[in-house]
Amino acid sequence: MTPGRWLGRAFAILILIVFVLFFIVPLVWLVLAPTKTDRQLLLEMPFAFGSFETLAANWTTLVTFQKGLIWTWIGNSAFYCLAALAITLIISIPAGYAMALTEFRGRRALLAATLIVMLVPSTALVLPIFLELSAVKLIGNPLAAILPFSFFPFGVYLTYIYFSTAISRDLLDAARVDGANEFQVFTKIAMPLATPVIALVGFFNFTGNWNNYFLPYVTLPGRKSPVQVGLAELLSNVPAFNPTNAASTTISLSSLALGTLLAIAPVLIVFLFAQRYLVSGMTAGGIKG
Amino acid sequence: MNLLRTTVALSAIFAAGAAFAQDATGITVWADANRQPAVEAFIAAHPEVPVNLVVDDGSSGASGTFQTKISLADQAGEGWPDVVFSTQNNDAAWATKETNGVQAFAQVLNEGFLGEEFLKGFTPGALDPVTVDGKVYGLRNDLAPVLFWYNKTLLDGFGYAAPTTWEEYQALGDKLAADHKGYFLGGIGDAFEGPYIYYWSGQAPIFQLEGDAFKSNTTDANSVKVSNLIDHMVANKSLTLDSVFGASFVATAANLVAIPGPAWYAGALFQNPGGVNAKAGDWVAAPPLHWKDGEKVTGNVGGGVWYASSHSANPEAIKTFLQFIVSDPKVAGTGGLPAYQAAADAWLDGQVASGFYAGDFKAAINTAASSVWNGWGYPNFSPETAWAKIITPGLVAGKTMKDLSADWQQEMKNEAQVVGYTVE
Amino acid sequence: MTTLDQSTARSTTSGRKAKGQRHSIERAQGRMGTAFVSLYTLFLLAFGVLPALYAIYLAFTKKGAFVGIDNFLKVFKDYRFWPAVEHVGIFLVVWLIMLVILVVLLSLLVHSIGIRWLSTGTRFLFYIPGALAGASSVMLWLFVLDPTVSPVGFLLRAFGSTSLVDAVQVDRLPFVLAVIAFWTGAGGWIVVMYGALNNIPKDVIEAARVDGARPIRIAWSIQIPLMRKWIAYMVIMSFAGGTQLFVEPRVLSQASRGVVGQDYSLNQLAFLYAFKQSDFNGSAAISLMLLAVALGLSVYFVFKGGLFERV
Repeated sequence: MTPGRWLGRAFAILILIVFVLFFIVPLVWLVLAPTKTDRQLLLEMPFAFGSFETLAANWTTLVTFQKGLIWTWIGNSAFYCLAALAITLIISIPAGYAMALTEFRGRRALLAATLIVMLVPSTALVLPIFLELSAVKLIGNPLAAILPFSFFPFGVYLTYIYFSTAISRDLLDAARVDGANEFQVFTKIAMPLATPVIALVGFFNFTGNWNNYFLPYVTLPGRKSPVQVGLAELLSNVPAFNPTNAASTTISLSSLALGTLLAIAPVLIVFLFAQRYLVSGMTAGGIKG
Repeated sequence: MNLLRTTVALSAIFAAGAAFAQDATGITVWADANRQPAVEAFIAAHPEVPVNLVVDDGSSGASGTFQTKISLADQAGEGWPDVVFSTQNNDAAWATKETNGVQAFAQVLNEGFLGEEFLKGFTPGALDPVTVDGKVYGLRNDLAPVLFWYNKTLLDGFGYAAPTTWEEYQALGDKLAADHKGYFLGGIGDAFEGPYIYYWSGQAPIFQLEGDAFKSNTTDANSVKVSNLIDHMVANKSLTLDSVFGASFVATAANLVAIPGPAWYAGALFQNPGGVNAKAGDWVAAPPLHWKDGEKVTGNVGGGVWYASSHSANPEAIKTFLQFIVSDPKVAGTGGLPAYQAAADAWLDGQVASGFYAGDFKAAINTAASSVWNGWGYPNFSPETAWAKIITPGLVAGKTMKDLSADWQQEMKNEAQVVGYTVE
Repeated sequence: MTTLDQSTARSTTSGRKAKGQRHSIERAQGRMGTAFVSLYTLFLLAFGVLPALYAIYLAFTKKGAFVGIDNFLKVFKDYRFWPAVEHVGIFLVVWLIMLVILVVLLSLLVHSIGIRWLSTGTRFLFYIPGALAGASSVMLWLFVLDPTVSPVGFLLRAFGSTSLVDAVQVDRLPFVLAVIAFWTGAGGWIVVMYGALNNIPKDVIEAARVDGARPIRIAWSIQIPLMRKWIAYMVIMSFAGGTQLFVEPRVLSQASRGVVGQDYSLNQLAFLYAFKQSDFNGSAAISLMLLAVALGLSVYFVFKGGLFERV
């Protein structure tokens, strides 16, 4: 290799390292922060490990904050997201299947509508959905999060793509000739092959909903908030960011860091486990959530 | 059909869950963390009233938390708290009005809700900011006139006399800057110090209301005087740009020589281990500073307000709570000067007896309390948002009040217009 | 569902007897398809179409009476509207440029890593911040941006920031927001682009290499042109998403004592209209404009960008 190429390669490696650090350093810091006191956060090396005692103390501050409010928030998030996940799968998988492998009136129109709505960012519909739910007096009811969370056109699209490419119509026709009715064709032939797409739809739906802030912020105020909204609430009790609350019973920076970590833990775990699916699935679908 | 049935069943469960969540006997209280010890004292004194305390930011810095959360509850048709504490004085401007067909949030507290005898116990004028057309909509937590706090030990050590006018205050800053680097006379890093402590005390017509007309004039002679003072003292670093509750202010608090500020600095700043954490006997509460050519008036920084909900299912518990929280001799005022006269007397006597503050504490507070300039308005917005948006980052970036005051004035006028005031 | 199954079964059986099988299966399929999409269609109407229609209704009325474009005029005259447009606009420019350049560059670099586990691992590391979206990512960045606790405090000080207030000043904010958005979102796009790069036939690249083309040349004249469709897709999606800016400035506003205004972005303004001014009509007008932008981009991409060709 010529010196020029060596230089080019070294430069490429340098860029990659810089960006790996950019993506990872904040997370590493976040994992370490709860092991330190506020004073240590201010004065010590950012990537030093504090102590397990401090971690335990921060944990206690966090979970005793307003009688364990953090658990209420996490419980709310889990409830809304899991209920929405179930409903999403129940409505999206058959719908995607039907659009991919059956013919019915209005199929193309429905498909076009799905694509269009799928590309509209979900935030754009938050205030309109809020106004609608408020008109039917559903604000404050868990359904005000669960139902909008369950409307997931991207999931329908993914299922549609999956069934159109993974299952041939011939296979289904063969089953029909063997005497299977339409419903059996779906349950016996399509469903057993659908595991990957169910996982993928579930992943995007769950992580997207878990991290959703705007919609539940307006539709589920107060103690019914999910953890993302709660986290912002927690922030107003941190003197460092909201100094007028200089009282003794507040949340320290490190407890806030711990709260953030706790709030993202479920998604982070799902991410780690779903890693294999993700990389292949995103490549196939070619779409982000 | 199964799906439909499942959905119906699920929603029935949710509805039931929501119903159980309602607490029939207790009250829900929203307050900031500074109020938490007082609320806990109430819980200890009245175990028969279960209290669910939700700690929020008390709408400090005019964050609008109170109004936003009430709007959300109005939409939900549920979830209103029974009692709310707000650090702002101007919430009556919206909380007394019906919005989109939902009744006004604030409960009228006179006219039979609370006894007239009890209400008469407030210091005269204390309830003015929350009184609209003779109806009282909130109870003041504390009175917050601005006085002048100084560290006697430090001043004596330097051999300087305590200033009594703003001119002397500025001159003291010059001396410190020249001879005692690092010592300083206050901070304007929060949004409240500038408008309420400096401009209000200087009789600057920054924030005035006449009927439906909002007026602000940063080029008035009084306004310019105050702007020049701030610019001068920021330039020689005798005023810091840190928040008085922020980490860097607290870290340098040993170098704080004097600071003009509200009565509640007593508890929230000086006697707070997380604040200045003053040593007993060091600090003096002195009568407010005034301008040589001006009247002997002073400013006012909030003095929070307790509101009751008109939606509450439990008005009796609310009455018990409100009466306790504003008048209990031990907790009323939450570290500042209680608005309730009897509690104020008790608090002042206690402060004098403890000897924590040197000098004539009672006289200083009384002078300040009776000389708040009445030219400041209480419209449905706060000067703090405009300050935070224009001045705070501007000063940090090295600009001066002189550079910024036109923008600041425009921003306040714009805000006034948006919420429906006429602006010249 | 039960009655439907029976009727499907019946029609299939009878159809086989009558030898008109083909036709009957199609009918059964049609019924089946309609049944399968019915629930989804219901949701599409309830949470896609209806809210939009309701927003249109609100935006053109006041207290139930038709007022033409009055609500829009009021919003246009609001002193906060144009600055908010400007804020969002600058943010979009900064973010999109950053996104296109860096995502393309990084995906090319990751793709050129020969060692399989290293390439997968790097992609995964890029992707993982995606787990933190919304409030939690801003929360983390608050720490990063506050020079007193930041793990990269030295960098902030190098840019002259000694406090959080300074770090999030209005003229720096578009960059700050762009960095946050890039941090959470870029990994996903890198994975997508990587997939697109994998789809380029190996022999095309090989042929170019044999002809003596250097990696930069190959990237510029073969790989990037073949990624164009995906880049366009990324830009359009990100543009639509970026106009919706809400949670980031909102949390920053809360944390910076109001230095970042509560009216920084358009969605925040729509929020203030609804919850501070109790003006749902004005709020709907802003939402509708944002929705129109998103919808326009989306329709354009679906029909012109080739996404619909696959159907």
